[in-house]
Amino acid sequence: MNETFASTQPFVMDTAFWTATAIFIIAYIIIISEKVHKTVVAIFAASLMIMLKILEQHEAFHVEELGVDWNVIFLLISMMVIINLMRPSGIFEYIAIKSAKLGKGEPFRIMAIFAVVVAVLSALLDNVTTVLLITPVTLFIADALEIDPIPYLLSCALASNIGGTATLIGDPPNIMIASKASLTFMDFIYHLAPIVIVLMGIYLLIIKLLWGRKLGTKDMLKKRIMEMDEREAIKDPVMLKKSLFVLALVLTGFVFHGILHLQPATIALFGAGLLLLLSKTHEPHHILAEVEWPTIFFFIGLFIIVGGIAKVGLIKLMSLQMLDLTQGNMFATSMVIIWFSAFASAIVDNIPYVATMNPLVIDMAKQLWPNLSGLQLLHHPDLMPVWWSLALGACLGGNGSAIGASANVIVIGISEKAGNKISFIKFMAYGMPIMIMTVAISTVYVWLRYYVMKI
Amino acid sequence: MKAKDLMVPLQEYLTPDHSLKAAANLLRIARRGEEKIGVKALPVLDSKGKLIGILSIGDILKAVYPKYMYLMDLGSFTWDGMVEALAQKMADRKVRDLMTRIVITVKEDSPLMECIDHMLKNNVKRVPVLNKDNRVIGMLYERDVFYYITEFMSNSTSAVRDNE
Repeated sequence: MNETFASTQPFVMDTAFWTATAIFIIAYIIIISEKVHKTVVAIFAASLMIMLKILEQHEAFHVEELGVDWNVIFLLISMMVIINLMRPSGIFEYIAIKSAKLGKGEPFRIMAIFAVVVAVLSALLDNVTTVLLITPVTLFIADALEIDPIPYLLSCALASNIGGTATLIGDPPNIMIASKASLTFMDFIYHLAPIVIVLMGIYLLIIKLLWGRKLGTKDMLKKRIMEMDEREAIKDPVMLKKSLFVLALVLTGFVFHGILHLQPATIALFGAGLLLLLSKTHEPHHILAEVEWPTIFFFIGLFIIVGGIAKVGLIKLMSLQMLDLTQGNMFATSMVIIWFSAFASAIVDNIPYVATMNPLVIDMAKQLWPNLSGLQLLHHPDLMPVWWSLALGACLGGNGSAIGASANVIVIGISEKAGNKISFIKFMAYGMPIMIMTVAISTVYVWLRYYVMKI
Repeated sequence: MKAKDLMVPLQEYLTPDHSLKAAANLLRIARRGEEKIGVKALPVLDSKGKLIGILSIGDILKAVYPKYMYLMDLGSFTWDGMVEALAQKMADRKVRDLMTRIVITVKEDSPLMECIDHMLKNNVKRVPVLNKDNRVIGMLYERDVFYYITEFMSNSTSAVRDNE
């Protein structure tokens, strides 16, 4: 395949172009409207792309640039399997109860500790899993202290999106960017973790100002928390040890995957396979059934939809517009991308957004440096800040609205079922200012680090 | 034996606007005058008498059980007084919010085995009995089916049909 040829080939706005564009736009509108489940929309629109011969089935299933990114799919599935195997051991209940006790039953201390725990877990697992594990305990602790759970829930959702930004596996946008741009786990740690730590510090200050004084409880109720024995949470100590061993192995594997020349998905798949083996399960059916298949198929569908519009040239058209706007100035491009990504991710789910932006950024790079290819192109020094801007904007943008990130949707869903409704406006009233604040600080970071200090 | 022969004719029923407190009281005193008063579930009928749900004592237990506890294993961390506080909090909630909406029913002419079939396959302990116009005319309770079956067991050498 001659990529440079493909990228300089002029595109024609023929029937295929308009068909693919229509499928893409209609699908995204229906996804935003939530009239039909997003996974159903994605699968159907993807099948249309193939049925109508915009993509050949071979391209959709087997061509990396146009079809399903199996690196992302297998990384997600493997991490989900590992977590599903870990859960019954009681480790997450242990962490949550232990955190509440560390807070000594003081409402704000607990909120701050939970925010940090959620941020760290979101960075090491993924946000959705983290909030799925922490939200129920948050409601439980609020009941014990007889206080309003909503500040805790909001704080957890927001902290999870901030924390998830720090690592390759923390948030789906990062997983997708890492795969398309061939970035390693350590690249993310080196470039994103420092700013995320700063953002978390500022975030803690803000929640202190917002809720620190309002939260109060009686000493009698604090005793309820202090009397809980977190050790009772551990249901299966043997499985707990095996899980922690495998998790440590996987995380170490992530740290060295660049040096080992192994893809993150390979490391995660190895971890999932090893833990399945160690668990001595005779019923893998159960563990595998608990994988979030709707999310997985949502990704599969989106990759194919985006492959379709990439093949007909819509992505290229969009990247030319972007170049036109920024006149090829990479600093301007980074700034446009970080802010546009933040607001776009607040409106659309950040997963379809990044699925569209990845090929766009690569295409833009091809226009700018037509003679480069492979890693020389993807890791061009001028392009790197654009990738980090995309990651920061898309991940932090998730905080902008109730539907901005899957974690928010989960928190709001659990909260509503438990009888504490968080309205769209209420979420936005907290989420949007936090988003703007974190993105603004990140903008300064990108500018200082990559355009002033150039490190 | 058919459903209508073993059912308890409809006397008490709930409306969607009943408070849980009132509903629980009805569940406690239904079938008064019998040896064991109280029932484990009552049908919920709307203002036109149409069946729209069923409220069981299981639903009352669920009402005080926080939904988030289904998601995590927190049972061993609960505290004394938790149930009582939630019971008071939930007392004024409406039946419509807590009833089970999908109701397994039988027809008045359904043979008893069909009723048992419904009960076991759907894991319900009581079923509303409907007439030809789909109106609830009674409730068939597991307890009454049990009494009926045991009569045949204890008289297994002779037919007891005529005693009925």
